[in-house]
This record gives sequence, C-alpha cells and structure tokens, in this order.
Amino acid sequence: MAARPDSEDIAMDDAPTSHQPEVKDDTMVDDAGEDVEEEEDYEEEEEEEEEEEVQRVKLLPGSTETAASFEFSNEGHTLGNALRYVIMRNPEVEFCAYAIPHPSEAKMNVRIQTFEGTTAIEALEKGLRDIQELCDVVTDKFVAAADDFEKKKAATA
Amino acid sequence: MDYDPMAMDDAESLGPVVKISQADSVRVKFELQNADISFANSLRRVMLAEIPTIAIDLVEIESNSSVLADEFIAHRLGLIPLNAEGVEHLLYSRDCDCEEYCENCSVKLTLHAKCTGYENMSVSARDLVPVGERINQSLGTPVINDKDGTGPLILKLRPEQEIKLECIAKKGIAKEHAKWAPSAAIGFEYDPHNKLRHLDLWYEKDPKSEWPPSEYAKWEEPPVEGEPFDFDAVPNHFYYNVETAGNLPPDGIVTEGIKVIQQKLAGLIHELTEGEGEGGYDGPRSPDYNSGPDTGYGYSTSYGGNGGNQSAWGGGGGTTPFGGQTSYGGGGWS
Ligand SMILES: [Zn+2]
Repeated sequence: MAARPDSEDIAMDDAPTSHQPEVKDDTMVDDAGEDVEEEEDYEEEEEEEEEEEVQRVKLLPGSTETAASFEFSNEGHTLGNALRYVIMRNPEVEFCAYAIPHPSEAKMNVRIQTFEGTTAIEALEKGLRDIQELCDVVTDKFVAAADDFEKKKAATA
Repeated sequence: MDYDPMAMDDAESLGPVVKISQADSVRVKFELQNADISFANSLRRVMLAEIPTIAIDLVEIESNSSVLADEFIAHRLGLIPLNAEGVEHLLYSRDCDCEEYCENCSVKLTLHAKCTGYENMSVSARDLVPVGERINQSLGTPVINDKDGTGPLILKLRPEQEIKLECIAKKGIAKEHAKWAPSAAIGFEYDPHNKLRHLDLWYEKDPKSEWPPSEYAKWEEPPVEGEPFDFDAVPNHFYYNVETAGNLPPDGIVTEGIKVIQQKLAGLIHELTEGEGEGGYDGPRSPDYNSGPDTGYGYSTSYGGNGGNQSAWGGGGGTTPFGGQTSYGGGGWS
C-alpha cells in the first residue's frame, strides 16, 4: 500500500490526542518541525529502510510509569478488546480500557493504570503474552478435537 | 488491593475447551468454552478479515470481443476462489524485491477461449490455466467443487467472440478486499435461550413461538420459569460455524486464524522488547525490561494459580512456541 504523504502526518501530530492533557509547549512544536525536515532528507537516501521501520506501538505523551496510554497502528477491536480484557484480569492492574478515537484512522489506543507492583509497559507485555498462551492452548484443544472427530468418524463409517 | 480472589474460581480459570460437532470439507462447527467473549470475538474477526489467501489482483486483457466490459470481467476474475495451500511461503508483492511481481510473490494464470461453434459457449474457472513457476502445484489453482467440474462461470461467448487475458494472482487479506476472504460465512452465537438478555427479540404476540430455537438450544439449560435475572452471568459458550470458500480447508481457517493473532502478538512483543534504542519510547522504562516472560512480577497468574512460566490456561504447560523472539517480528501486516 502506498505510504501516506508526510505532510499529512505533521498535521496529525500537532493535533492533541484525545484524553491527553495539552502540555505541548513551543519547544516541542519546534522539535517536531525539525524532525520532519530531517526525515525528508533521510527518505530520499534510503527510502526502503524507512518503510520497514514502521512503529506499531507508541507511548503517548503524558504517560508515567504506572499510568500510560499506548497507540497501536493498524490495530482495531480484534486486538483491542481482547487485550483490554486480559490486562484487566491482571490483579496488579487498576484500570485498562481501549478506544478507537476515529473510525477512519487505523489507530487504537489502550490506557493502562497499574498499582505500585508493576508498570504499565510490563502490564501491556504480560497482556500480550497471556493472549499468546491462550492462543496456544486453544490451538492445541482445537487440533485435538479435530483429530478426535476424525477418528470417531472413521470408526463409525 | 482491590482484587477479588473469587475471580480465580470463574469458569475461565478451568482453561478453554473445544468441542467439534460437525466437520467436513465445507464447514466445521465447533464450540469454544471457558473463554471470554472478547477473545471469542477476536477469533471470529480474524477468521473473517485477516487470514492471507491468494486471489487475482491484476488482469491484462489482450483481446475481449465478448459483450462484457474489460473491468467487469476483471472484477469477476478477482472473486474466483483460488487454492491457497502453501500461501504462507508466498511473499506479499509489496515486501518482494521484484519490480511489480514475480514467482516469489504471485501466480500467473491465463485464459484463452474462442467460440467456434454455432452455440453460445460458457467460460468458467476451469479454463483458467496456471502457468510458470509455482511454490507448489496447488497454489493458485481455481477451486472446483461442483459436480460438473467447471467451477464458477466467468462469462459467455457468442459464436466468433473471443477472450484472451493474463491474470496475476497475489497474496492478500480480506481487510483489504473481500476477494481474499477464506470463509464464505462464519456463524457465531452464544446464549441460545437469551438468558443474558443481550437480545431484545421483536415479536407480534409471543416471542417464544415466533422465534424458532437455535440448534444449540438443547445444549444449554433452558431458563426456569420465574428465575431471577443473574446480573453476574457472562457468556461462556460460543458456537462457531466456519464455512470455507474453498481456498483453505475449514479447520485450516480456524488454526490459521489463531496463528494470525499469534503473529500480531509476537510482532508487538518483539517491538516492545527489542525496540529499545530506536527512539520513540521516550517514556518510562523499567530496569528489568528485557527480562524474559513473567519474571519480576512476583505474583502468580490469575488464570489457574500456577505462577511463573507455566501455561496458565490449563493447557500443555511450558513456554509458547511463539514466545519472544520469533520469525514473525518483521514485515507483513497485522
Ligand atoms: Zn516478487
């Protein structure tokens, strides 16, 4: 798929993210402007490299150790809802929720607030690993059930 | 801590259960128990939209004297199910080193038909001929399951009309275009007696007589007359009916679906743990950030009480084959 032109992205960066306090000051805006210029130069030289390093999770500004918002690119309810649930099951997590701020932007935000025992990033990682484990077990159970079904069918036929 | 130890006793801590009630070459019907609705729905969504298959994406028409417009035929060609066996070894064209397409990222099919008789002639999927190098001898072959052995009808030709074209089939997912969907339909239901009242059934006089019971109604306890509503009840039995479009076997759709979730997760974990020093994470990071799974937490997992690295979902224990650094980290979609 064609990459979005950079000029559009700049406008999006300047817009405050929903439910984030607007703490952006002038220096931050300047930084962002410089970054973009550098990126353009870089892109001309190594366009292919640039495309591979698409960041899929981003920590949103205003996050602390135990209270953080993450932005997932190209994810939606498929990951968001399952992740929200599994993170909320972690007893060291105080709060977890997800949102898709705008339907025509392929972005999904997850908010995690933890108790003192763990950090938001750890809770996120644990959530991802927990779903992985669940997937492994469901695969095993499904394959076993399918084999069983085949055997029974062969026995009755 | 605001944590309720009773949560340990819920159905989910027993670990998921899968029961298959029907399986053949077209569909698989199964029940998933002791999983949360959020995961059950993720599985449904991923089977619908994110399993890679192969479909015709480019059509070069050399001659078309049929009554149908070129783009109309191209669209019809795109919708023809092609065998997706071994598609995991095919590259996405956008990830390939080639200019536009090559044998590593596509399958070429040709169609050449001319009506030479006096009667109208049907051109169907059977007449699409795969040519050139392929990863295996099935990948990209049109799926033909009807008893005549012709496959879907593409177009008809009157005497002396001719169609000659070349198709490039590429790998893709249904999120981009529905032609890449592996499933013709996915049935998904829970709570056949509507005990949870997630449904507000429309009726004229009596919903009981006007709504025929689901085939799964006899699998679950019917509601008792006068029973108080259970506010803590959550759905726990999910009934799937996965019907294939022919490109993947029905049970393959289920296992591939879970695999897609796994790849998504593996990619994200990889980025979280390996992405250090790349910038972007200007936020807080714990010192033991790179330690393996489940270390440094100091509490047992909430799923079954076994701490540490053991599989908490009641399954075959041990670490996951996908855990941590896998080959999935890199490209591809999510
Ligand atoms: Zn190629």
